[in-house]
Amino acid sequence: MKFSALNECRQTISDEDIVVAMKKIPGYLDITPSDFMEIYRVAFDHALHRLKHAITAEQIMTRQVATVPENALLVEVVRLLADHDISGMPVIRPDRTIAGVISEKDFLSKMGGGESPSFMHVILQCLEKTGCIAADIKKLTAKDIMSSPAVTISGTMPLFEVAEIMDRHNINRVPVIDEAGRLAGIVARSDLIQTMC
Amino acid sequence: MSAFFKKMKGGSQSPPGVGFSEIAWSWLGAFLGITPVALLQYNFFPDGDLVFLIGSFGASAVLIYGAVRSPLAQPRNLVGGHVISAVIGVAAWQVLGSAPWLAAAFAVATAIAAMHVTKTLHPPGGATALIAVIGSEKIHSLGFLYVLFPVLTGVVIMLIVALVVNNIAGSRKFPEFWW
Repeated sequence: MKFSALNECRQTISDEDIVVAMKKIPGYLDITPSDFMEIYRVAFDHALHRLKHAITAEQIMTRQVATVPENALLVEVVRLLADHDISGMPVIRPDRTIAGVISEKDFLSKMGGGESPSFMHVILQCLEKTGCIAADIKKLTAKDIMSSPAVTISGTMPLFEVAEIMDRHNINRVPVIDEAGRLAGIVARSDLIQTMC
Repeated sequence: MSAFFKKMKGGSQSPPGVGFSEIAWSWLGAFLGITPVALLQYNFFPDGDLVFLIGSFGASAVLIYGAVRSPLAQPRNLVGGHVISAVIGVAAWQVLGSAPWLAAAFAVATAIAAMHVTKTLHPPGGATALIAVIGSEKIHSLGFLYVLFPVLTGVVIMLIVALVVNNIAGSRKFPEFWW
């Protein structure tokens, strides 16, 4: 989902939509379709502006974040991800600052997914070559495959900027850090969708 | 300059028409609204000095029975617009009556401005102000009583009918707001 596309939502309403709506509403509406369009446009922009600034990352972030230390073996990482039914999590140093983020994508690219890793790329790799290379990563730790440095945000960042950052970096979650750079929470794409819709 | 003329092209779509039941309710409302005021005028006080029915009520009927949702048709606008305009109309006649053209223009223009200021814009108010100037001798002799009879009396009667009729109609609700 492209969050930036929300800005274009209002363009999708047509004069015909408005006329149909005006017909559906009983009674004479003392307004022209273009009046309505103008009100709608201004109201939509206002609502967008309000949403952009009203809700901040710390209001919707998850505070109980599953994390792993840098030296965690990948098998531990995978077990944690599986147990929590999540697809990624922050890798933290002992002082709770963020070393990186480890996610499905990192595993996929490590396992032969290439530039834009996907599950199907890995399957393809397995089928075309002699075998799968999961065995090769058994001895690696979180630090070896995590994405680093991690993209992080501060808790005061408005939601729409969070969405833009996710779009820009093509990531699905972004850790929230406090002033000292320590992990404070995490915002996932699904949190954004729940808040905005 | 071309921008000036371009504005005259319009270009926007005209709103859709209304259905049969809407037309029927508009007719019924207007009929029941004008009836009591007209009865006062013609049957109860046929020879008196009082006036009950003025032309601007016809215009109000269009709004409060025909365009119920319009902001212009709400009680605040109906009552406020008429009363304020009536006061201005009478004052204009009394002060500027020696130059009727000026009194007429001043009354209407000032009524519109005053209705805007008080958020009571009601188009028939302009007519109410104008009638105070161009009306008969009977109207002129009423002085500021014009504000009460015919204006406020008629407006209140029509408002009561609007409250009843427009809320019996399933598809209607009146008013949108009182104040």
